[in-house]
Amino acid sequence: MSLTDIPWNHFDPINHFSTGQDSTSGLYPQHPHSSAFFGHGFAHLSNTLYHPSNSIYFNMNTLSTAEMERFQKLSNEFQADVQGPAVSAKQPSSAIAMEYANADPAFATKTSALAITHPLTRTMRGDGNCGWRAVAFGYFENLFNLQNSLQVHHELNRIRSLNVLLDQTGQQEHLYEIFVDATEDVFNQISQAIQSGIRDDSFLVNAFNSEYNADAILTHFRLLTSAWMKLNPHRYQAFLSMPIEQYCAARIDTVRTEIDEVGLQALVDGVIEDSGFAVEIMYLDRSEGEAVTPHVLTPARPIAGTICLLYRPGHYDLLYPAEPTVNMEPVVNYQYAMTSDYSPWDQQGALAFDMNSSLMTIPNLMMDPTFGMAPSPMPAAPPSPYRVSPPQEVYQSPVHASPPPMSIASPPPPPLRMSAPPPPMSSLPPRSTDGPQIRLNPLVMKPNLSHSLPVTTPFKNSPYNQAHFQNQDFEPIHWEPSDSRR
Amino acid sequence: MGSQKRIAKELAELVESPPEGILVKLADESNLYTWHIYMDGPEGSPYYNGKFLLNLTLPTEYPFKPPTVSFKTKIYHPNVTNDDKGSMCLGMLRADEWKPSSRIQAVLQFARQLLAEPMPDDAVEGRIAEQYKNDRKRYEEVAKEWTRKYAVDS
Repeated sequence: MSLTDIPWNHFDPINHFSTGQDSTSGLYPQHPHSSAFFGHGFAHLSNTLYHPSNSIYFNMNTLSTAEMERFQKLSNEFQADVQGPAVSAKQPSSAIAMEYANADPAFATKTSALAITHPLTRTMRGDGNCGWRAVAFGYFENLFNLQNSLQVHHELNRIRSLNVLLDQTGQQEHLYEIFVDATEDVFNQISQAIQSGIRDDSFLVNAFNSEYNADAILTHFRLLTSAWMKLNPHRYQAFLSMPIEQYCAARIDTVRTEIDEVGLQALVDGVIEDSGFAVEIMYLDRSEGEAVTPHVLTPARPIAGTICLLYRPGHYDLLYPAEPTVNMEPVVNYQYAMTSDYSPWDQQGALAFDMNSSLMTIPNLMMDPTFGMAPSPMPAAPPSPYRVSPPQEVYQSPVHASPPPMSIASPPPPPLRMSAPPPPMSSLPPRSTDGPQIRLNPLVMKPNLSHSLPVTTPFKNSPYNQAHFQNQDFEPIHWEPSDSRR
Repeated sequence: MGSQKRIAKELAELVESPPEGILVKLADESNLYTWHIYMDGPEGSPYYNGKFLLNLTLPTEYPFKPPTVSFKTKIYHPNVTNDDKGSMCLGMLRADEWKPSSRIQAVLQFARQLLAEPMPDDAVEGRIAEQYKNDRKRYEEVAKEWTRKYAVDS
């Protein structure tokens, strides 16, 4: 389903972001269950039948059996015209917000907030395997990001040991071995990349875009999930409308059947969870709230990484939260130090910083990884003219961050951080799960700020801003000669 | 390539211990993707004593796409098209129902079982299906006659 086809036309530009700023405390409202507004698989049909511009509403009951059969046949044979790579490169999530700019305000608000909390995304091809693919790719990607050969080896052995599940459920090795081979090949590629110091993950993207191999990997994950479910029926049967064997045959063991909630939970329980990676779903739907609804599928505990899925009715993609990363940190510190007289965030000084027009107009300043890392153009710092704030007011550096080349005034980083990067696994700080994982500018989070500021700064130069010429409600400020004479 | 490895193993298994009434050969020794199947008509069915030749074609994407099965020997059956293609309609061979963990042996056994018990509700030949349901005697006569005519070496 192409999301741009969604015929919601309740465009209300005024409400877009004014409400979005109130989301500090309720950024992640805990909905026990996200209400996808369309049942899986009905989205396409519903679009056709209930399109607002369609004056005729079909009554399915009046169709004859023959017509129903014809529809069923068409539906069975329907092959969505899916294009694009199976797994895309990382892209800015703002593209998702643009897709929904003219859609229902709930979507527009949520996608705009999403672009801030999760600035990057990877799209999965919507061919029926997107959910499986997103989890499998996210798993390997997180493993690669740990840069720990030992861990890769450990995971390879763990996944290999799951073959026992297949044997226990009557699968035969000569039938499933090619699937296991394909998965093991990815582990080996990850090991090799880590050993040769390759940080670029395009080899993973390529592995998942090579159709035969990717099908084999996904079939492997499907078979493991299916076996896990059959061996643990008490955990899933109550959620299924048919016997578990039948469910697995129809929904899990097939080649292109989209994953559903039960299957996803089983995939996570049976295959992913013991890796130490968490799986989190961001539900993008029209439920209450100004941000996507998060749901963590794994029990809370210290985690080695998170596979973050974006769920839109009928489709999964991958998301990447705006965590402090190695390269962004120095940039932020640098900016912080640029303000000549800063006071605590919440006061006027912060405004001066945020509204610093010269900084805000530097394209991609916040994103440019080379900016902070490059030798600073500023001369080596004389004794600091700036007030040094206590460390807790400065953004917390992630422990694994490489030391920023701090040549300008700023508190000297704690000496510990100057040492070589610590081993990846053990030193990751446990993340709190009870709040946003990013450092939101308190200004952005402050409620009711919309009365004084038209939009949040990240949208200052976008058409969402009413002051932008492309905004629907844009009105140029007219200069009235009489005004100046008064 | 993965598909060849898997196909070779499945073929070896079928040649080593063939299921009852089924004999498998490569149509061309240099090509793993086209098989000849010799199938004996099951006892108790109107196809008994007949020897039917089937073609089994495997896609290069096997096992992610299903094999196709067709009767080269003419056969009077509700689930086999009554033309020179002899296409067979098997639910398990539809792309959306196919499972990569299924094996060819199961496909062949299912096909032979279909000779013993046609599935008129899933028919490709509606007329034969009607006859099978309403006039079983006549259906069996014709099926036997066709078997004698086309599937028995004279």
